[in-house]
Amino acid sequence: MKLLLWLLLGLSLPALADLDYALKPRQIAADTWLLEGSTDNFARDNGGNIVNAGFIVTQAGVVVIDTGPSRRYGEALRQAIATVTDKPVVQVLLTHHHPDHVLGNQAFKDVPIGALQGTTTLLREQGDAMAQNMYRMVGDWMRGTEVLLPSQTVTPGVQTFGNHRLRLLALSGHTGADLAILDETTGVLFAGDLVFYQRALTTPNTPGLSVWLADIATLQGLPWKVIVPGHGPVATDTQPFAQMREYLGWLDQLMATGAANGSAMGEMIRSPIPERFAAISLSRYELIRSVSHLYPRYERGQMQRIDQ
Amino acid sequence: MGWRAHWLLACWLPLAAYGMDPGKDPVPSVMWSYYHKQYLDNAPFVFDERVKLLAPPFAEDARQVPLEIDARAFKDEVVKIIAWAELNPLPKIVDFQPGEGVLPWLAIRIRIEQATPLRAAVLTKDGLWHVGSTLIDAAGGGCTAPSVVRSQPGWEEHLGEVLGGRYPRSDFSRLRLQVAHPMDNGMVSGIPEFYINHAELRDAQDRVLARLELFAAVSENPDLAFDLQSPGPVRLVLRDTSGSQFEGALP
Repeated sequence: MKLLLWLLLGLSLPALADLDYALKPRQIAADTWLLEGSTDNFARDNGGNIVNAGFIVTQAGVVVIDTGPSRRYGEALRQAIATVTDKPVVQVLLTHHHPDHVLGNQAFKDVPIGALQGTTTLLREQGDAMAQNMYRMVGDWMRGTEVLLPSQTVTPGVQTFGNHRLRLLALSGHTGADLAILDETTGVLFAGDLVFYQRALTTPNTPGLSVWLADIATLQGLPWKVIVPGHGPVATDTQPFAQMREYLGWLDQLMATGAANGSAMGEMIRSPIPERFAAISLSRYELIRSVSHLYPRYERGQMQRIDQ
Repeated sequence: MGWRAHWLLACWLPLAAYGMDPGKDPVPSVMWSYYHKQYLDNAPFVFDERVKLLAPPFAEDARQVPLEIDARAFKDEVVKIIAWAELNPLPKIVDFQPGEGVLPWLAIRIRIEQATPLRAAVLTKDGLWHVGSTLIDAAGGGCTAPSVVRSQPGWEEHLGEVLGGRYPRSDFSRLRLQVAHPMDNGMVSGIPEFYINHAELRDAQDRVLARLELFAAVSENPDLAFDLQSPGPVRLVLRDTSGSQFEGALP
């Protein structure tokens, strides 16, 4: 019996110990640190760490941008911050309500968690269903994770934290409520999921691809020096913007042409993906999703009332 | 023909008709024999790759899953096509009888409750069922989710509105139709069954070109696409379980 217990313990311990995000903050500008996730999909082997989170160590304390996909991630993020600075976390800013960016909130419940009003509304409506789906896809990494709504509403404009001036922009292309943060002190632009780079963009809540394209123009016009996309590698050139424009333009054209030809939804999801997007991770998977989200709008534009 | 040949023929014929090897089921299914009895009345069948049943690998929206049934490999031989989602609480999707001039191809959107095998069984004139299969993954809940249509104020005023289009292709034309209807399947608490269960595609002389029985697995605001070889105007006439009739005309 004792032997059996030891055996079971031996089998289960490594499994639990394996669930470690091993977050390693990387400095990308003065006082500015990044936790870069993979460009894969949510899976049991990555714990949902497919997202970029960041933090800025100001004189007044640490500002955290996005809290990650799970409570466990949020806690690991907090520990990672402590390896870099002794300063307390004074502010969390959420770029938008999607689960991979906000489900680490529980680890920051002692800190003001700021988000746009629309983000809080969307998280209240959709949070539980999204969290449930994360449990399904990511499994035990999610243990103990629950939706914690933002405790503070932020408004667009400049907010100063110690020696850092943060310009907050209220945009909408990705979810209807998207916060972009430009650190005017360092020139680092936290674009949230308005910018995906080398990873196919996701569209479940977009108000429309043209809205998104307009946001890309707004962001590109800012005095940025470093772009932190919501997913994918950091860049110091305009490549992420160029790729977003190309990809959004292609999606829009594809669905407009398909609708004009009377293509069925199933035919659309099998459309060939252009060679120039070969380096972009998960483009087929996200095309299937985007067609499901957006194609009905294009179809209706190409049909008439025929019952009169 | 000698006695031996007669004997062989006598043994072989029933074998061909009723004991024919159906081949290996291409999808893992615990329900096949049940549905074989229930929907195909235990009639002879083969699992047949020539029946293309196309669905996305996963359901992004379990209430609106695009499905295509393509039996054009059996053109002019098709009597009817039955489709179902094996693990749905309400499995049956459609019974489609394409007539002359209508290709044995259909696109339709469906609801699924969980990851499931999907089947399309095509009955050909020789009496054999050809079964096409595929699998779809899903987070689930498509059949029991509250209605989207009913959450929109004033939906009753749009009931039965038909959107449509006719899109010329090389040797046929694509017909697309969408009908405003909540398609209540009886699985949402307090809302009884109320769905479009019958549709006919008719030509200008009122001849029936194709006939469809629709079932509760069909999505809200049903979306249908046909490929039609014959030219000339057509009408789709639909009837729901409360007896209301709707129609859309395409020139």
